[in-house]
Amino acid sequence: MKPSGWQWLAVSSIVLSAIAVAETRPQYGATLRTATSIAPMSLDPADKAQPDTVAKRNLSQLMFETLVTMDDRGRLRPALATSWQAAPGNQRWQFWVRRGVKFHDGSPLTPEAVAASLRAVNPDWSVLPAADSVIIERNVPDSDLPAWLARPRNAITKRSEGGTLVGSGPFHVSDWQPGKKLVLAANESYWGGRPFLDGVEIELGKASRDQLLGLDLGKVDIAEVVAEQSHRVSTEGRRVMTSAPVELMALVFARDRQSPEEGKLREALALSIDRSSIRSVVLQGAGEPSGGVLPNWISGYGFVFGDTQNLDRARELRSEVPRAPAQTLGYDAADPLARVIAERIALNARDAGITLQTTTSGTSDIRLVRLRLASLNPRVALLTVAASAGLSAPKFTGNSAEDLYQAESGILRAQRIIPLFQLPVGYALSPAVEDWNQDRDGSEHLENVWMGSKP
Amino acid sequence: MNFCRKLLLLFALTVFLSVAAVAWLVSTVTRRAFEQSNEAQTAALVGQFQREFKRHADDVVRRVGAIASSDATTRMALTLNRAPADSGSFLNDAVPIAESHQLDFLEFVDARGTIVSSAQSPAKFGYPETSLGDLSQLTSKPAFLKKEDLPAGSSLGLFAVRAAKIGDKPLYVVGGLRLDRNALAALELPAGMRAMLYQVLGSGFSPQMLVASEAPKKIEKLEPLVLQVQQQPREISQLVHWSENPADDETVHAIPLNGPDDKLLGILLVGTSRRPYVEVKRHIQSAAMLVGGAGILLAIVLSSWAAARFTRPIEELAVAAREVAGGNLHAQVEVSSADEVGDLAEAFNQMTRDLLEQKERLVQSERVAAWRELARRLAHELKNPLFPLQLTVENLVRAREHSPEMFEEIFRESSATLLAEIGNLKQIISRFSEFSKMPQPQLQPANVNEVVRGITRLFQAQLESRSGGAIACKLELAASDEPIAADRELLHRALSNLVLNAMDAMPHGGTLTLRTYDNADRAYIEIADTGVGLRPEECERLFTPYYTSKQHGTGLGLAIVQSVISDHGGTISVRSQPGKGTTFVVELPRNLEKLHAPALDGSVTVTHHR
Repeated sequence: MKPSGWQWLAVSSIVLSAIAVAETRPQYGATLRTATSIAPMSLDPADKAQPDTVAKRNLSQLMFETLVTMDDRGRLRPALATSWQAAPGNQRWQFWVRRGVKFHDGSPLTPEAVAASLRAVNPDWSVLPAADSVIIERNVPDSDLPAWLARPRNAITKRSEGGTLVGSGPFHVSDWQPGKKLVLAANESYWGGRPFLDGVEIELGKASRDQLLGLDLGKVDIAEVVAEQSHRVSTEGRRVMTSAPVELMALVFARDRQSPEEGKLREALALSIDRSSIRSVVLQGAGEPSGGVLPNWISGYGFVFGDTQNLDRARELRSEVPRAPAQTLGYDAADPLARVIAERIALNARDAGITLQTTTSGTSDIRLVRLRLASLNPRVALLTVAASAGLSAPKFTGNSAEDLYQAESGILRAQRIIPLFQLPVGYALSPAVEDWNQDRDGSEHLENVWMGSKP
Repeated sequence: MNFCRKLLLLFALTVFLSVAAVAWLVSTVTRRAFEQSNEAQTAALVGQFQREFKRHADDVVRRVGAIASSDATTRMALTLNRAPADSGSFLNDAVPIAESHQLDFLEFVDARGTIVSSAQSPAKFGYPETSLGDLSQLTSKPAFLKKEDLPAGSSLGLFAVRAAKIGDKPLYVVGGLRLDRNALAALELPAGMRAMLYQVLGSGFSPQMLVASEAPKKIEKLEPLVLQVQQQPREISQLVHWSENPADDETVHAIPLNGPDDKLLGILLVGTSRRPYVEVKRHIQSAAMLVGGAGILLAIVLSSWAAARFTRPIEELAVAAREVAGGNLHAQVEVSSADEVGDLAEAFNQMTRDLLEQKERLVQSERVAAWRELARRLAHELKNPLFPLQLTVENLVRAREHSPEMFEEIFRESSATLLAEIGNLKQIISRFSEFSKMPQPQLQPANVNEVVRGITRLFQAQLESRSGGAIACKLELAASDEPIAADRELLHRALSNLVLNAMDAMPHGGTLTLRTYDNADRAYIEIADTGVGLRPEECERLFTPYYTSKQHGTGLGLAIVQSVISDHGGTISVRSQPGKGTTFVVELPRNLEKLHAPALDGSVTVTHHR
């Protein structure tokens, strides 16, 4: 029987569908090549020598895991701890350690190892191993302890017999050239299942421009895209993925306000800054102007804090201060974006009658800084930002949104910080990268990524 | 100052003045030559700078023109001509374009005068360009100086403005080159010269405004010059002392650099080191000192030779003259030349020969006179006793002839008279004999005070029992009892003579003062009376033998005293004022080391006090 046209059509459809299914199904193998601008000299997640950036966090969680993790909405999820429970008063917490987990050197993850790792990073905590759990006691009630444990610095690590630091993450270190290159191999015995990728090669200390060039030349599969370039990169036809704003750019004063006049000057400076122009021109539309410390998508009330320029009011405040000494505005010399923004702020300030001299010196009256959103837990995030900026720790009277607002308002009223922008992080991906996704805070999940066959 | 020294001084002064004059002359000529060379080099450098300035200006115009006509600028202008224009995307365009065209400054300014993109100040986007006024007026002008405000301060640059005229909205390109070390480095500077640029970006002086490949350590030294040019913008030269070392000095020529509106924006400072000049000057000074030193040495040699040649005969003459003055009339000098000095020596020799002959004649005549005086004195002395003798003998003869009965009595009386007169004759003869037989002193340790006390004790009775009036004796003796070498007997005899004289000078009484005092090597004895005193002419002749002012004196007393003192190596002097008294001062050397030595020479000095 000669097949009819409809029969040929049906067969063709089935074959094509099979091919399509085969192409979209995850495939094991291949090495992902990526690059990052940071150049860490140590892989220790608790190392404070490197600034706490999204890139560092993403690098760390490839090799190391925490007891608890957070999902995209900030909800706590089990990781190396399968469950946890707080005693009444939230001072004593018990975390049950996942069974069957092994470090990269083959040794099992035990409560003792977990306790030792946490004690090393948090010497003021009381961490005791139990039969199949660890018990953590704080000297004050801490309802957010699991959220703190979700931070990369509290990842569970262990010193191997060779002295190297090992974790239990989806990848283990294959080659480590501090500050230059990191080669990771898939952890075949990963408790969450072997990653699709055989390995990940990460070039360290690469400028964003070089990363994009590498992406265009096919030498890199994932490149970082700085906020001000994300629009241009995407308009040039590349595949760009950006996170929610997760990095606060702000001005931080070196000292507390000394007098009401100084407070007026600080307010005048805050009002003189034309955030809108900076965002549209310097940031090329990326990010969000912000008058608050936390991004609006986390706090929900960020829009309440004013962020618009009011030059008349700034001049008026300035005129109320008879003598305003020139101040220095410091910025990171390695950050070209910071330089332009700092100089623009100095120009805006001059329009209001305030003299700011930009400098790359380490000591300055005011410093332009980037502060990463360290947690999807707003209280932890606010505390971390305050600590990073050298501000007094905010006081929380409760766990409600209003309490959070009061705490953040308190920080702003102290006039030690002038929030400017909330910036996202972005990545440009080669077409071959499949199932790449990130949380709203910019966290990657390379253990789910696989390499397709697209050119 | 002797002739030799005068000669040396004259020679040295002549050499010094000659060398100093030559050194000054050479230094002056060198300085003038250096200054002329300096001026020529500065003028050449200024010309070179102006040529470099023009070349830079042309270069700026060419580069800015190239940017204005480039595709990138055209696309930018096209975008800005659209409505609505999105100028935000050009923020970073100026930097790579400026780099590709090797410009330090580059700004794109839209038709409204708003900065679209700035290479030097990216943050200036959206701000108006106000420093240049109407840009359309500058698009065909050559490059000009301009002060550019930068985030880290201000800087000076050469700017040009060109326009990309696309559509009805021109896009202005404002580009420039910084006037910095690199611009100065392009100048080919001769050795010892350097160029600096002071940017007049505000009033007053600020060291940070100085641009130089090698900034001087004490920049503030340039402040007066810079301020002077700021007040009066004209070319000025000034000597700058960088340190205590004159070799570090620099002649700095300041040339004002003005902007298009004739506003002073910069000062070109051309420094010329004075080190070569100072080193040449030092060499000249060293050479002058060397020549001067050699000249002075030569002067010493020449003056020594001249002294040997000319002054030695004169010195020999002086020595011989001193010998003549000392009594040696046999002194002669060698006549070693036939010139005036030789004549002088010959005349001197003739003079001494004449003096010697005259002296011999004088001695002979004095000897005759002395013999006559002695004869006269002897005759006088002997005549007095002889006359009574003659009368007594004639008396005896007459008595024998005319009065034999009284002869016996007369004989006895005459015999007594004869014996008395014969006694006088013997006394006279013994005095003369004593004077002629003055013994040499036998030196032994003698205490002057003891000798004086012995004299006092000896004459105490006579002094107190004087018929005319008592004489008070006053002793003022030295505290020291250090002995001297003397013949106590002779000294006692001499002092006794002086005391007797004093007593004779005070016939109506008075005060006799005996005073002793001494020092380390001499003892002094003063015998002072308050008698009638002596006239000056008496004082002059007082120690002459046989001279006496007394009616019955032999004139040998003070001669003996003087002889004794002189034999002790001492001196005796007298000072007297008529009517107030006379004081004899005996000065005796201690001479303890010569206790067994022969008798010493002495001298007599006479001092007369009015």
